[in-house]
Amino acid sequence: MAGGGGNDVQWCFSQVKGAIDDDVAEADIISTVEFNHSGELLATGDKGGRVVIFQQEPENKSQPQCRGEYNVYSTFQSHEPEFDYLKSLEIEEKINKIRWLPQKNAAQFLLSTNDKTIKLWKISERDKRPEGYNLKEEDGRYRDPTTVTTLRVPVFRPMDLMVEASPRRVFANAHTYHINSISVNSDYETYLSADDLRVNLWHLEITDRSFNIVDIKPANMEELTEVITAAEFHPNQCNTFVYSSSKGTIRLCDMRASALCDKHSKLFEEPEDPSNRSFFSEIISSISDVKFSHNGRYMMTRDYLSVKIWDLNMESRPVETYQVGEYLRSKLCSLYENDCIFDKFECCWNGNDSVVMTGSYNNFFRMFDRGQKKDVTLEASRESSKPRAVLKPRKVCGGGKRKKDEISVDSLDFNKKILHTAWHPQENIIAVATTNNLYIFQDKLN
Amino acid sequence: RYMLGRGVKRKLSDYDESMAAGPPGPFDSSPALPYPQQRQLVLNMCLRKLQSCCLKVEPSLHRSVLLSNTLRQIQGEMLNEDCNTSPLAVQSDGNSYSVDTSPYIGGNPPATPAHIPDLPPLPLYSQAEEANLMTMPSDNGMSSTISSHVRVAGFLKDMSPLPAFPSWAENEELDFFSSSSSSSSEDEGNDHPAGSRSLDSLFGSFEIPNSTSYLTDLAFDDIFEDIDTSMYDSSDFTSVLSFTAPRSSVSPSEDSLKPFSTCSSFSSNGIQICVTDLNDLDHIMEILVES
Repeated sequence: MAGGGGNDVQWCFSQVKGAIDDDVAEADIISTVEFNHSGELLATGDKGGRVVIFQQEPENKSQPQCRGEYNVYSTFQSHEPEFDYLKSLEIEEKINKIRWLPQKNAAQFLLSTNDKTIKLWKISERDKRPEGYNLKEEDGRYRDPTTVTTLRVPVFRPMDLMVEASPRRVFANAHTYHINSISVNSDYETYLSADDLRVNLWHLEITDRSFNIVDIKPANMEELTEVITAAEFHPNQCNTFVYSSSKGTIRLCDMRASALCDKHSKLFEEPEDPSNRSFFSEIISSISDVKFSHNGRYMMTRDYLSVKIWDLNMESRPVETYQVGEYLRSKLCSLYENDCIFDKFECCWNGNDSVVMTGSYNNFFRMFDRGQKKDVTLEASRESSKPRAVLKPRKVCGGGKRKKDEISVDSLDFNKKILHTAWHPQENIIAVATTNNLYIFQDKLN
Repeated sequence: RYMLGRGVKRKLSDYDESMAAGPPGPFDSSPALPYPQQRQLVLNMCLRKLQSCCLKVEPSLHRSVLLSNTLRQIQGEMLNEDCNTSPLAVQSDGNSYSVDTSPYIGGNPPATPAHIPDLPPLPLYSQAEEANLMTMPSDNGMSSTISSHVRVAGFLKDMSPLPAFPSWAENEELDFFSSSSSSSSEDEGNDHPAGSRSLDSLFGSFEIPNSTSYLTDLAFDDIFEDIDTSMYDSSDFTSVLSFTAPRSSVSPSEDSLKPFSTCSSFSSNGIQICVTDLNDLDHIMEILVES
């Protein structure tokens, strides 16, 4: 799997974060993973409303083979559970998405959101503190004024590094339905948030209002047959964004065309293959994630069984389709019964858009090399978690004879799912979230 | 409890292992199961899922929409077939989805087949046809389908057919019973076909935003439409109050409330919440009236 060169990449275990025991506390379930723009920071959000940020250690000069490890940098409670009194329902504190803002000064900023509220967090370092106050003792007590006989100006002295996270903005009360996406615009001033039926545009500085730019709520709710599943801004055209739907369509909108972008500029939809029609066709066509390529020429969508790459200039069908788990097609009824068919898998691009990655069941994740037309299935497991151990490719057999080392589709553990993955923006370092563990893998450096 | 589910699983996995690598039929893993039964299976799972989403947290609209679309698709197919053969009675007694708890072994079909949910508007579902649909069937040609309905309905009965509904589903159920237990004439009087309001309430709860625009979004009357004070008088009020009442006016008749009383034993936070929330509702009413 090339990250850019022509050689096959071998992936090695680097680190695993999180509790070792199999008893998973619900609050520890990881719900989102995101690298920042430089890749130095890696943020995770969990079901308990917490955000944990890992920072990559600077490369060790004496060990050039190893890239820096990621260690905990900051942990904070982003969202708390709330109660909607009108509906008598709880609002989950689970972090649905985290998006980093590009760094403008010493501090880092990120947006985190739960179902209803988006927050802008500032993460700043403090490694100096003022000492030598004129009127105060070191412990903060005021000195007796009669003992103050000289003027003393405080000076900054080094202290142990302290990382502080503070909420700078709270963007609330703009979503009736559950927020599924946030996306920062390339103008670095605005961002969008999308729920099941609406997309809103915010200015990062303004919290008391937002513009509604897409509204697919029908006048008569009984006519509702389609919801918005994901939305994203184009990486360099600040007027363009896309949103995907539960019916497998993606709409590209241009904000210059009108204030309310209900009319799409482009509609991307692949006609259904009639030979694959089943009761569950619509459900499995629902798009769970949409991501633009870094160069802005393509976008990738994830539905239940496949990953599709679309050329923004061609609406009629995707230019590439990769099967994530065609073996699941024979299991759709069981997956429907145990609700797994509603799982929302995310997908991601590597730094130069040559490889895409997505998760699956049994803690498997898949990578597709677009250039070399090769794909690989790897597993995030404790068994393969020895330092720098090379991951062995896995294979699932759908039915019939099972070869050695293959796993039968019936043996797959559907409770172990990798929904969230992230790829370092420049390096071949990936973060893969199992239910409550974060695995970091990197390519083998020789 | 989920006997149907377990039975299905065993069956499916049996078929899975013995299945040769042929192209999957319209129903994936059980090519031996006849299509109508496969469809019925999916239909029941769909219903169960839509019913069972009573949570402390708001149910996922995405999931609800997908489920109801699947349900609609299946219902459409079934109605198409029924219209092509003979009118199928869509009726249940006022108390549950099942009509006969005893598994149907064979012979003549029972008079009242299992309930097919009244979901909104399909092109065929005109009011005239509705009147037909309300009549009892006597056609033995439908026996195989009906028998499977009943068999499955028997399983459904096992599951305490009326768990506390989330707001968007409970009124759907009210509509089922009010439309089926009372005569069809009530429905003919409606503007829409019976049950067409049910999907409205299916998604109706999502109408109430927790934003300040709540009051401007709704017409003044709509605010009070949601809160049906007639419930105050009834000791039978149930989960209706714990969730937002649907937009369409709820006119509980004795028949429609009866099923709810059976579900009080079905442990659900929703029901506990609603009883204690009566005073809160009082309070909220006061605030709204004063504002």
